[in-house]
Amino acid sequence: MTPVELEALSLSLQVAALATLASLPFAIAIAYALARGRFPGRALADAVVHMPLVLPPVVVGYFLLLLFGTRGPIGHWLDSVLGIRLIFTMKGAALASAVMSFPLMVRAIRLALDAVDPGLEEAASTLGARPLDTFRSVTLPLMLPGILSGAVVAFAASLGEFGATITFVSNIEGETRTLPLAIFTATQSPGGEAIAGRLVLIAFALAIAMLMLSEALARRVARAIGR
Amino acid sequence: MRVVRLALVALGVMAPLGATTARAQEPLTVFAAASLTDAFNDIGKAWVAQGRRQVRFSFAASSTLAKQIEQGAPAAIFASADAQWMDYLAERKLVEPASRVVLATNRLVLVVPADKASSVDLRSGINYARLFPGERIATGDPAHVPVGRYAEQALKAIGAWDAFAPRLVRSESVRAALAFVERGEVAAGIVYSTDAAITPNVRVAGTFPAASHERIVYPVAAVAGKAGDETRAFLAFLTGPFARGILRRYGFGDP
Repeated sequence: MTPVELEALSLSLQVAALATLASLPFAIAIAYALARGRFPGRALADAVVHMPLVLPPVVVGYFLLLLFGTRGPIGHWLDSVLGIRLIFTMKGAALASAVMSFPLMVRAIRLALDAVDPGLEEAASTLGARPLDTFRSVTLPLMLPGILSGAVVAFAASLGEFGATITFVSNIEGETRTLPLAIFTATQSPGGEAIAGRLVLIAFALAIAMLMLSEALARRVARAIGR
Repeated sequence: MRVVRLALVALGVMAPLGATTARAQEPLTVFAAASLTDAFNDIGKAWVAQGRRQVRFSFAASSTLAKQIEQGAPAAIFASADAQWMDYLAERKLVEPASRVVLATNRLVLVVPADKASSVDLRSGINYARLFPGERIATGDPAHVPVGRYAEQALKAIGAWDAFAPRLVRSESVRAALAFVERGEVAAGIVYSTDAAITPNVRVAGTFPAASHERIVYPVAAVAGKAGDETRAFLAFLTGPFARGILRRYGFGDP
């Protein structure tokens, strides 16, 4: 692999890993709230969580730009108070990927949660476990396969994120030029077909590896819940 | 089975649509550099107002459009923001060489957000590392977008490339770069003077010396095999006095 290809690949892996790890706790909390919570506006919350799945990615990127740009309400606060800049940075690319893949992650975790037998949780609480103990020692382990497969799906989706990323953090070599953006740049450049071809092969290999991993995890989940 | 039935229903719904578009006259499709957006939209309206065939535009970076034409995109006319991408298609015999003319010229400028208006001397021998320290500067991607190529040439000529290159936001078209400056997300941008003129949200901080980069020209040509009467007529209209007036109004120079 050439240095350019390596850079795009390693940046993509870093962005996807950061996006997945950072959003995982939120995804578990939200999946739990949506599956078990009984609160007003739950249907609305469900819809909001799923928005990135149905909105054009460029719209999501534009919202991120408006909210997290240095002049946006959140971005301005982060910049002036904490000194964190998301726009045009690798962290911003991770945010774009995290938002875009969030619904996929929540869905996978929620499916696993729905399959957890409430009887086991009731048993734990009749034996004196407090709700948090029950969650930690009964619910969470039973959800684990779903959490894993949700993380893998989100990781894979993050690797392919393009529209929200280019809109929010542009296309900066070594900072935000992930694999899909590098492929886009190569396809636009004179004589870039060979580079694009090689990058496409890398993307293919990654995608297939991710799909196989998530399928394997899904099979384990199916076995675990006895189907 | 259900899928097949659904597909048939969908086809049934879509069939009449297909028939009407086939019957109506196909609009003339013009692929034009992003910097021509506003001027060409006005020219297109004037053309249709004369009772001529509808024109539809696709505006993007010249690189994107040239690559699409190479892949058989249904464009009748291509207007590029540099000679390079027109040459790219000419070398591949994808434009009619006889129809090629230079439509307009442009200038390269450094713009800043309007609320941070300043003046920058764009000559060689200036310490550009001290200009906009730690801030980003947006322009088209020098790898393929014309404005970025001109910007790279100009920055190298005035000795600012080393200071600016690591901080460049390489956008997919000149208008994407302009938008970042308008929102104040970058300290400055390198765009055409005509782009700077269409928005009150940016100010020109300096104009690059004309000798610091290739001459900015807009060649236009008919796509190979598409040089029908209507295409030729629109090309003549584009280069005629009326269109020239519109281009001048937006700040484009004469060829």
